Amino acid sequence: MKILESQSAVLTNYEVIHHVTQVSMGSKRMGKKGPANYETLRKEVIQYLTTSPSPLSQKPLPYTQDSIRELVRRLHPYDLAKGELIMIFNLRPANVVALNTILEEMSDRFNEDQQSEIVAIIADVLGHFPPPQGTDSAKSGEGNGDVPAENGAS
Amino acid sequence: MFILTKVADLVQIAPDDFKKKSIVAIEDYINAKYANKVIQKIGLCISLYDLLWASEGLIGHGTGLVNVNVEFRIIVFRPFKGEVMFGRIRSSTPSGINVRTDFFDDIFVPFDELPEGAEYNHQEQLWIWNCDEETRLYYDNHEMVRFQVIDEEWHDQTPAGPNQNEEDALQAPYRIKGSMAMDGLGVCLWWDGDEGEEGGEGEEG
Repeated sequence: MKILESQSAVLTNYEVIHHVTQVSMGSKRMGKKGPANYETLRKEVIQYLTTSPSPLSQKPLPYTQDSIRELVRRLHPYDLAKGELIMIFNLRPANVVALNTILEEMSDRFNEDQQSEIVAIIADVLGHFPPPQGTDSAKSGEGNGDVPAENGAS
Repeated sequence: MFILTKVADLVQIAPDDFKKKSIVAIEDYINAKYANKVIQKIGLCISLYDLLWASEGLIGHGTGLVNVNVEFRIIVFRPFKGEVMFGRIRSSTPSGINVRTDFFDDIFVPFDELPEGAEYNHQEQLWIWNCDEETRLYYDNHEMVRFQVIDEEWHDQTPAGPNQNEEDALQAPYRIKGSMAMDGLGVCLWWDGDEGEEGGEGEEG
């Protein structure tokens, strides 16, 4: 074994989960499993990345292949570091406090308006979790009411 | 959190793997050798990412193994310093909190990296943060937390010979030191529940 390059690229969680769920199970394998140690690890990685509150736990997946490019383009004026962008993409901070942990010395670099602008851009590009249960249950309540009616009609 | 590392290695395909397609046999060999293993100063290997180059297969004298020289990229778990990650509390001791992810267990948050006002409760065996006069927040086991990576430790596990101490062998090969002192770090529900009007509540589901 020889290490040619210790770090040739950085991956986001989305790219990793895309790889372990899609690419590595490509058509050439014809559904055959890999070595046992790899299959166990693969299962654990998928489990970790799809555990709430990770944004990848949301169904359907809020990210697409273009999300990274779009996010980089929209956040370009704020001059964020690469590591900060990757963390934003992986963690999807939904409020200013969560953003504060990701951006170093945030209060010196950005004023409050800019901070909430960044949060708004993140929610716009990467989506957000559905609103609290209150509205959810109301919606599902209506839904339940509708379903039998539809069934009856058909 | 994940990086790609470029590696060159010799892949030996055993005859009973000849029924597989070459690319699948190489992939399985690499994943069997690397997945879930720590390379010192590189990180925890996860999975083959792509194969960059492979030589012709050569069969040596005496064995039926096909030898292929390959260059490939592999996905490695190696969070950078300052990165914020999710984790789950595994256990608490007076010296700090052990955190794990589903696939990596050796993350430790020492007591001096907890927010001010945190104290250890010996009866319940957990840490409590007295964030003001009335509010006491618990670092319960199995709770999801955000933490920041501040340091890493490497322990080479190459055997040192017959005189080796038992203690040396027990050290984890790769340990991450974390911090939960900053605002927004610590148990996820504390921050998301109060502040996120729309973002937070989804976590309880």
